[in-house]
Amino acid sequence: MCQVDEDYHDQLEHADAPSVSKKCAKCKEATAAVVIRAGDTYCRDCFKEYFIHKFRAMLGKNRIIFPGEKVLLAVSGGPSSCSMLSQVQEGLSQNAHKKLRFLPGIVYIDEGGAVGQSVEERRRTVAELRALFRATGFPFHIVPLEQVLDLPGSVVTVAPSPSEQPASAYKAAVDHFIQSDGGSRLTPQEEQETSHPDVQESHTQSLQQLIGSAKTLTAREDLLSTLRHHVLVHTARTEGYSKVMLGDNCTRLAVKLLTSISLGRGAQLAQDTGFSDSRYGDIILVRPMRDYSAKEIAYYNRMFTVSSVFIPGLDTMATDKASIQRLTESFVTKLQAGFPSTVSTIYRTSEKLQTVCRSSSTADLFDRCLLCMCALDTAVEDASAFKATQISEKLSQTKSPGAPRTKTQRQIQAPVESESTAPSRQCCSSGGENCGRAAAGGGGCCSSAKLSETTNLKSLMCYSCQLTIKDMTSVERLPQYILSEAQRRQRRSQMREEISEFLLDEGDGGD
Amino acid sequence: MAAPIAIHLEFGGGAELLFDGVKEHHVTLPSQSEPWDVKQLLVWIQQNLLKERPELFVQGDSVRPGILVLINDADWELMGELDYQLQDQDNVVFISTLHGG
Amino acid sequence: MATEHQKPATQQQQQAGVSSFTLVIYEQENFQGRCHELTGPSNNLQEAGVEKVGSILVLCGPGAKKPGNLQTQRLAMPVLCSSCAEKRAALKRPKTGHSLCKDCFFWAFEEEVHQTIVAAKLFKHGEIVGIAASGGKDSTVLAHVMKLLNERYDYGLELMLLSVDEGITGYRDDSLETVKRNQQQYELPLKIVSYEELYGWTMDAIVKQVGLKNNCTFCGVFRRQALDRGAIMLKVDKICTGHNADDVAETVLMNVLRGDIARLRRCTAISTSSEGDGVVPRCKPLKYAYEKEIVLYAYFKKLDYFSTECIYSPNAYRGYARTFLKDLESVRPSSIIDVIHSGENLSVRDGVKMPVQGTCNRCGYISSQALCKSCVLLEGLNRGLPKLGIGKHHRLHGKILSQQPLTEKEERKLKAVDF
Repeated sequence: MCQVDEDYHDQLEHADAPSVSKKCAKCKEATAAVVIRAGDTYCRDCFKEYFIHKFRAMLGKNRIIFPGEKVLLAVSGGPSSCSMLSQVQEGLSQNAHKKLRFLPGIVYIDEGGAVGQSVEERRRTVAELRALFRATGFPFHIVPLEQVLDLPGSVVTVAPSPSEQPASAYKAAVDHFIQSDGGSRLTPQEEQETSHPDVQESHTQSLQQLIGSAKTLTAREDLLSTLRHHVLVHTARTEGYSKVMLGDNCTRLAVKLLTSISLGRGAQLAQDTGFSDSRYGDIILVRPMRDYSAKEIAYYNRMFTVSSVFIPGLDTMATDKASIQRLTESFVTKLQAGFPSTVSTIYRTSEKLQTVCRSSSTADLFDRCLLCMCALDTAVEDASAFKATQISEKLSQTKSPGAPRTKTQRQIQAPVESESTAPSRQCCSSGGENCGRAAAGGGGCCSSAKLSETTNLKSLMCYSCQLTIKDMTSVERLPQYILSEAQRRQRRSQMREEISEFLLDEGDGGD
Repeated sequence: MAAPIAIHLEFGGGAELLFDGVKEHHVTLPSQSEPWDVKQLLVWIQQNLLKERPELFVQGDSVRPGILVLINDADWELMGELDYQLQDQDNVVFISTLHGG
Repeated sequence: MATEHQKPATQQQQQAGVSSFTLVIYEQENFQGRCHELTGPSNNLQEAGVEKVGSILVLCGPGAKKPGNLQTQRLAMPVLCSSCAEKRAALKRPKTGHSLCKDCFFWAFEEEVHQTIVAAKLFKHGEIVGIAASGGKDSTVLAHVMKLLNERYDYGLELMLLSVDEGITGYRDDSLETVKRNQQQYELPLKIVSYEELYGWTMDAIVKQVGLKNNCTFCGVFRRQALDRGAIMLKVDKICTGHNADDVAETVLMNVLRGDIARLRRCTAISTSSEGDGVVPRCKPLKYAYEKEIVLYAYFKKLDYFSTECIYSPNAYRGYARTFLKDLESVRPSSIIDVIHSGENLSVRDGVKMPVQGTCNRCGYISSQALCKSCVLLEGLNRGLPKLGIGKHHRLHGKILSQQPLTEKEERKLKAVDF
């Protein structure tokens, strides 16, 4: 259907044949070495200066990291996070005025067990990274993803965030910091490292079974990223860090934004792709690399010998259509090749979004997704995609009164203005009570105990995490902390229902 | 007739996986009637070095989008991209910025 | 008889030597859900507690008999309708993955549109509703379903067909024939408004002047107003259009790709409120219907529709979004509805500038600028400066309104058209 009722010809001009100057656009003297966004050519030195300035500017603009605060750098070994690490080092070596003033530590999550690396390969990768980390002098923590199996339930509960500090507090804190020590304190830190404990084989197997219980690569990648976040946040909490820095660059965030949309995570976009993400309450995730393109980082790392370690992931060597994440990446990259403003345009969209807070009490656990910890987006109005899907599911499983032989007897049903009367649901002939609950949770009814467990679990999740769970053969392999938190929430909501008639103002808010 | 030239090739960011995990290659391009350019180099790599999944490295007659190229440590966009004429002892680097590289 | 099994298959294989065959009936597709074993003939499955059959597994049967009224063959089983559990399924729904027979599909499809109409309160009793009819699959199915639901559920609506003749030889003249046939089949009044009578230009003439590159802009802008004008002539209260789920999802993606936050926010709305004089409220009853299902519905119902691409539509960028969406759908079929869910739940940061809607100083149509798009495009065509409406030339609006001449430089810029 042709429906072009919009004008958008200005932004989407095709890439013109390159007519780049050979001189640096900044100093106008040295020979150019890199072409960055918008066709600007930079020489080596100007490129370095520009790159370093951008990091500090990003942190300065957002004023979220306070002087003296402990910040955990999540380093995956990839080019972006290694570049971030080198920028922090760079920032700490600057003179007092430009110096970064927080206390960094490093965490590496070893996902080798989940992606099927051998013990030998994992050991080698860890050794390589340990050498890299040791050279920085920062404390570091090497955590195997297997640890996710032993996390406490607190990981999926929101911790209260420290009280909001007024904007003026930041400046005061900086001034105080500069006066008090001039920033020479960081060097004598004793070397502190949590090294990779030997992972039990049975743990690795359990982890592989957990990841393997997702039938599609899309769900597997989604699950892995959720678990990774949980381990990151847990590590930060136990080691006393209040911020976690993630290495997502602008190219990756553009892909992530489009992926999130495709996965039904529209409501969570701001948290998934913004500069800071406070879904966990006490621990704030920040993305200081979000202004750099993948190209800038690759060139910087190459020119200034920032080493990174290539570690294969779940989708390494996978085809373009192996998963939604993969497909989106290849789509954005190809489009970017033809329309050079693609990435930056998508990325700018992310800056215009914010987190929705449907419920008045944001700290209310019952409104948070059991997996991704974002506010639930499933309490939507009647005419919505979510409700429409539920209706489709129901209609595809119930006998239609509209079957030909009953056609003549059918009487006219619901007039337009009346309340949405769902078509005669013929669910469970027995146990009507339970059935109503299950149907509200989004799945079909009339199912065995095992299925209804999935259904109940789903009601605690956001739209997108429900899709992931739907792609899993069973939820039994989920780590215990998730399952027991689910039970706890279910008990709570049951209790709340029981006492609801005695409560004056709370109503039945929590589903 | 142009003489054979020796060049240094490097693959990184995961692109090396397509070359048996070998990152550095010293190769000699045979002599041919016209001078070697990057376009021909890509064909040569595909025929002589690439071990698997050529579609993950080349697309059409260029590299797959998302793979960056540096010639003698400078952006290939500055060097004429596919039309750059290779010289003896040139250093050509291919870095994949793709996650699944 | 009714037993619950985790893994009946392995159990059955062990027993296979004992009895000659075993049937395992599962409530859901893909051998999931509650299951029941049959080792002999059964004349009434419901007595055995079976209410639905989603899939059947035959284990080691030399000659399976017919249990109940189920048609069974050895190993190769026809999939049964997951809804009525009686007839053979005719299609697998891309939306939910269920397999349905034709009749159950028709019913489900129609019922879903009905539920959408009811839930979103799209119409009021006694309203006159114009169905935007192009002769294509979407609008043909829309007209069919609207007529059917209006009768089935006594909406009390007065329906009519509304068509726009863009003046594209070999495309629109053919599709309009389809609309005229539809008019007779459905016994609905039809109004055709043409670009020629409204604007004095046919698309054929416009393409002659502007070339193929930007003609979709003209066509789209003109069509929107043409529908409104036609609706006003017919005294229609509402227009419904054939936009389906794929169209909406694609528009969400498009608006992300071009960073158009204002449209991103608006584009998932199922209906527009009345925006002012000259604009008739619109709605999309097929918003949650997959394109695939619309095509299947039209195919099974043998609806008469016209299926040729517009000869002037080379719109590349939208094409990318479309291809991406189709790829997404093939990876995870629910993606289309998932994208719409995303679009419905986006929230824009406070303080992001949004265009203010006003009215056109010339024709009074809604516009965020001094002149509406359609008047600017028309001005450009009439003056022989086709580029006037393409790209942003807002600062020229004042000049056009006060009929000041343009400078030579301005004229030169607007004339150049690349073919």
